[in-house]
Amino acid sequence: MRLVECVPAAFMLVLAGGIAIGTSGLNLWDGPTPGARFFPIILAIAATAVALALLFAQWRGFEKVELDFPTRLGAARVGATILALIALAAGIPLVGFVPMVAAFVALMLIVVLRQRIAISLMATAIVAGFIHFVFVRWLSVPLPMPFGI
Amino acid sequence: MLDQLFIGFATALEPNNLLFIFLGVLIGQIVGALPGLGPSAGMALLLPLTFGLEPVTAVMMLAGIMYGAQYGGTLTSVLIAVPGEASGVMTAVDGNAMARKGRAGAALSISAIGSFIAGIGSVMAVALLAPPLASFGLKFNAPEYFLLALLGILAIGSLGGSPLKSLGAALIGLMIALIGVDPLTGTPRLSFDQPTLMKGIDFIPVVIGVFGIAEVLASLERIESVQPIRTRLRDMWLTKADWMKCRFSIVRGGAIGLFVGIMPGAGASIASLLAYLTERKFSSTPEDFGKGAIDGVAAAEAANNAASHGAAIPMLSLGIPGSASTAILLAALILHGIRPGPQLMMQESVLVWGLIASMFVGNLFLLILNLPLAPVFAALLRIPYVYLAPAILGVSLVGAYAATLDITTVWMSLFFGVLGYLMIKFDVPRPPLVLALVLASLMEMSLRQALLLSFGSPMIFVERPISLILLTAVIAALLLPVFAAVRRRRDALRAGVGTGR
Repeated sequence: MRLVECVPAAFMLVLAGGIAIGTSGLNLWDGPTPGARFFPIILAIAATAVALALLFAQWRGFEKVELDFPTRLGAARVGATILALIALAAGIPLVGFVPMVAAFVALMLIVVLRQRIAISLMATAIVAGFIHFVFVRWLSVPLPMPFGI
Repeated sequence: MLDQLFIGFATALEPNNLLFIFLGVLIGQIVGALPGLGPSAGMALLLPLTFGLEPVTAVMMLAGIMYGAQYGGTLTSVLIAVPGEASGVMTAVDGNAMARKGRAGAALSISAIGSFIAGIGSVMAVALLAPPLASFGLKFNAPEYFLLALLGILAIGSLGGSPLKSLGAALIGLMIALIGVDPLTGTPRLSFDQPTLMKGIDFIPVVIGVFGIAEVLASLERIESVQPIRTRLRDMWLTKADWMKCRFSIVRGGAIGLFVGIMPGAGASIASLLAYLTERKFSSTPEDFGKGAIDGVAAAEAANNAASHGAAIPMLSLGIPGSASTAILLAALILHGIRPGPQLMMQESVLVWGLIASMFVGNLFLLILNLPLAPVFAALLRIPYVYLAPAILGVSLVGAYAATLDITTVWMSLFFGVLGYLMIKFDVPRPPLVLALVLASLMEMSLRQALLLSFGSPMIFVERPISLILLTAVIAALLLPVFAAVRRRRDALRAGVGTGR
């Protein structure tokens, strides 16, 4: 069993531990009534049991592990997309939603996905226009405007 | 019942509702045709757009996306052998084989007609079965609700894939739902004094992230340009021999699909696979299966559409979603201020019967869209996916923001997008997480209420007849995967001994 295969079980164990610690100040029972900690503790115990069973099944080969990791190029593309999404979310309060989405789409198409500039800019304009007309004009969603206006 | 169905039709045929049913099935058709975007992702991305609509209109539109995607998925399966979602895999095998033999039009036609007939049959079953099931559901109390919700979650684990990973995903969903405030006492729980967490984790960023963003991230790993096989309107006609071969395949596929769809957790993928395998047994030409069997395509497509409608039966009558798509539909009801459960059919009869009637209308729209207009939709497949991917990501984040008008939702969508992507990579199924998130509140409340009723005694779960039956089903759902794993292991060992290894 490779170490990377333990990630789902490890994640569940961490989450179960977090739940147990995070609810430590709450009551398990309030008199005859189950308290606020009752259900979280049941879940934490169940998650620990399932995580350990998963680890055991993987170790003994009962559980088929099919990991489908991307190629280096694919991983770079996904990584760049996640970074661009983080930049998009971070820039929204300052630059506004529609301009940031437009910048994101243009950056993704031209830099990350290496598409032709003219077509990419046209696609960017269509997306920005769609968001403006559907969300701002039609649904009247108060999207953050450029520079906090 | 007929009176209510007529009222439902009167609601569904209102011009505004007709427009949104049409929009729903059209979007579903497009979403289904885009590889990597299934009905759940499409519904998740468009859920925020329905907030300005009346609840009945919103639900009709979202349901339209759900079953419209089953029709749309056929296009990619037949024309480029890439199923829009898992339920189109069998169609991709035989439908594409037919297309390579110059019979793409016939494959698309029989898919549309099979889906339509099975869809209409399933909607009739929804109309017939949902009311008595809801009446039966009125006998349920807290212990039964807890066990029913638990059964819904466990059933996903016992049907295909890795039961442990499915169960793990469901537990992650349940644990995420704990964040916020305790529903009975109002005590802050796992919020770590953060006002944002105090409100709890909203359903929308989770579902947009786990289905929408994660799917796009995964599809960006491999960008392939596949040219679809061309199809023309005149190729869509079926021969008499095709009809004779497929008529019972559609009936059998539809019946299997409906039965599987009603079962929690099974879904359209298992339905289409079961129907395909059953049809191979019934077929007069089983040797054609895998090489372009039109009866195989008819059965698989009838089954996946029937299953997609059948899943509405437990959702409407008991408030228990049977699939990720119906979980989103249920969440839409809750977000529109409607309480799901057995009372839904009485308290919101216009909504329920309007939804059922809208499924008849929607299937008719889809038949029209898929028969004469199939070549037009096939042309959509020529748009390179690279241009759609960033647009889908951008629009999904706007949708997430629009749902709460809070930038935190955007960050949460990103977090769950990365989590969903990692779940895909580690082969952890995502529907149980979403299903558990929807059922978490019902589960916790009913468990605690049940124990309150019994002064803390767990015997309440065995003292009541219905809850005893449900408890037996829960235990069976827990043990079934264990027995299956042991049997697989024993068979593998025997095979190893047999071959001298």
